[in-house]
Amino acid sequence: MQKIIKSKLQIVAILVLVLSMNSCTKENLDINELNETIFVRHKKADMPAYIHGNASDKVFLIILHGGPGGNGLWYRLNTIRTDIEKNNAVVYFDQRGHNNAQGNYSEKEVSVAIMAEDIVALAKVIKKKYGEDSKVFLMGHSWGGTLGTATLLKNQEEFSGWIDVAGVHDPKGLYQENKISLTAIANEQIVLENSVAHWRSVLNLVQNSSPLNTFEDSGKLNGAAHEGEGILEEDKVINEAIADYGDDVPSDDFSKVSWNSNKINNILVKDQGLFQQVSFTERLSEITLPSIVLWGKYDLVVPAAIAQEAFDNLGSNDKELFMFQKSAHNPMLHEPQLFSDKVIAFINRHK
Amino acid sequence: MLLLACAINLHGQSMIDGTSFLNRTAFKIGYYGDIQFEHGLNLGAEYLWKEKLKVKEKRKRAKTITHQFLINGSIGYATNFSNKTDNGLHTYYGLIWRRTNPKRWQFNLEVNPLGYYRSFLPETFEVKEDKVSKVKLPGRSYYAPSIGVGIGRQRTGKRRSGWYLNLNYTLRTPYNAGVLGGYSIQYGHRFNFKKK
Repeated sequence: MQKIIKSKLQIVAILVLVLSMNSCTKENLDINELNETIFVRHKKADMPAYIHGNASDKVFLIILHGGPGGNGLWYRLNTIRTDIEKNNAVVYFDQRGHNNAQGNYSEKEVSVAIMAEDIVALAKVIKKKYGEDSKVFLMGHSWGGTLGTATLLKNQEEFSGWIDVAGVHDPKGLYQENKISLTAIANEQIVLENSVAHWRSVLNLVQNSSPLNTFEDSGKLNGAAHEGEGILEEDKVINEAIADYGDDVPSDDFSKVSWNSNKINNILVKDQGLFQQVSFTERLSEITLPSIVLWGKYDLVVPAAIAQEAFDNLGSNDKELFMFQKSAHNPMLHEPQLFSDKVIAFINRHK
Repeated sequence: MLLLACAINLHGQSMIDGTSFLNRTAFKIGYYGDIQFEHGLNLGAEYLWKEKLKVKEKRKRAKTITHQFLINGSIGYATNFSNKTDNGLHTYYGLIWRRTNPKRWQFNLEVNPLGYYRSFLPETFEVKEDKVSKVKLPGRSYYAPSIGVGIGRQRTGKRRSGWYLNLNYTLRTPYNAGVLGGYSIQYGHRFNFKKK
């Protein structure tokens, strides 16, 4: 019987070995074509950074995902994947409490300030791993723009440039801007006789929403903004959104991703009142890094007026504002080629 | 170590009631994962703690339904195979209630209050103030109790004594300022080493 047990244990040992080996097979440490996952441990959280692309010049672009509740690898698509990764390495990062980030901390240890420190920690880790002479650029999309702004207000020394893509530097002011932009686009589309019934209902929603910025009503306007962008796409006012992940469609445990997403969103948005309490507008002048502000003209989620405000208030001597004419909140999906051209040109100018 | 201690303890109990440990124990091996994202292997043992036979007299012949309570211990490893963000070892201990009908079909409920999950992370750097250092054996430990429900079929008088298909719900806590719940499927075979 000992023989039987021994043979079974051998089979199990081989299977475990095969599982372990398979889990390592996709790594690529070729500096021209990096493909690796590392973790950053900071203040009781372990957060994954998925690093892809050409690091031969030691130039890294950290992308801060949207949300709160987004996911780093959702951005590894279209020309970010095919063009920007050829120019420089791209670091897709799961922020504290998001997607595959794990840890053991209390709700009090989740805040915009601590999450901004996490990003500074990530930049330090990249320099430790790839060399202190590495150049690190920061890109923030939507909520990532809030986090990116908070990060730069803590530490700009670690970074070579700031790419603000429809970033919310003023979450507190978003509610009023949503009202203004939804009303303006609705009136414009009614005149053009595009989806008139829909845009009339949007006007009605805005008129009936509270004059005060409440959690419930800001959520309703956010929903109307996303829906409105879908209508603009159907009516061909903006380009069709393309999301081409190639052979690397993100394949994470959906239940874990959605649980993390809900949890972090509840903490930051509902409990801490992100969209009622936080604003960095007054401090934008402290950001003196070279900056580019990229926005979709038809962005209803984070209206284009905020782009002008960001551009006007940034303290940098070297700053640029560019509006994508056929895009809404996600120019990397609506005008991917122009998007990557702008990002690559900015990075190459400042690396 | 816990599994070994458990086995020694159970062995002691079986000596008391006069039946050998191996005669009361089934070993199991099977797939563990959620089929889509995470896949792994699970090993375990089930020790028969209590058994009750219910005989129903029918016209042609008597039918026996078996109710069992089994002490359950299990250990396994699973990975998401892609970006190494979900590699982990789990082990749990608890109680199974199992009903076996006259046609040897089985239904079981499982409660495992003692559970432990240890994640294994790839290269990890810790940042404290301005100091960056590499972490040795990176990963995190979680208390991971679970419950499960399943079916199976018994094979009487065979070394490979049956198959099982379980749906488990496991908690990991404290996990990212909360409690993470997750479903997994277990499919495998039970073996026994009863003296014939």
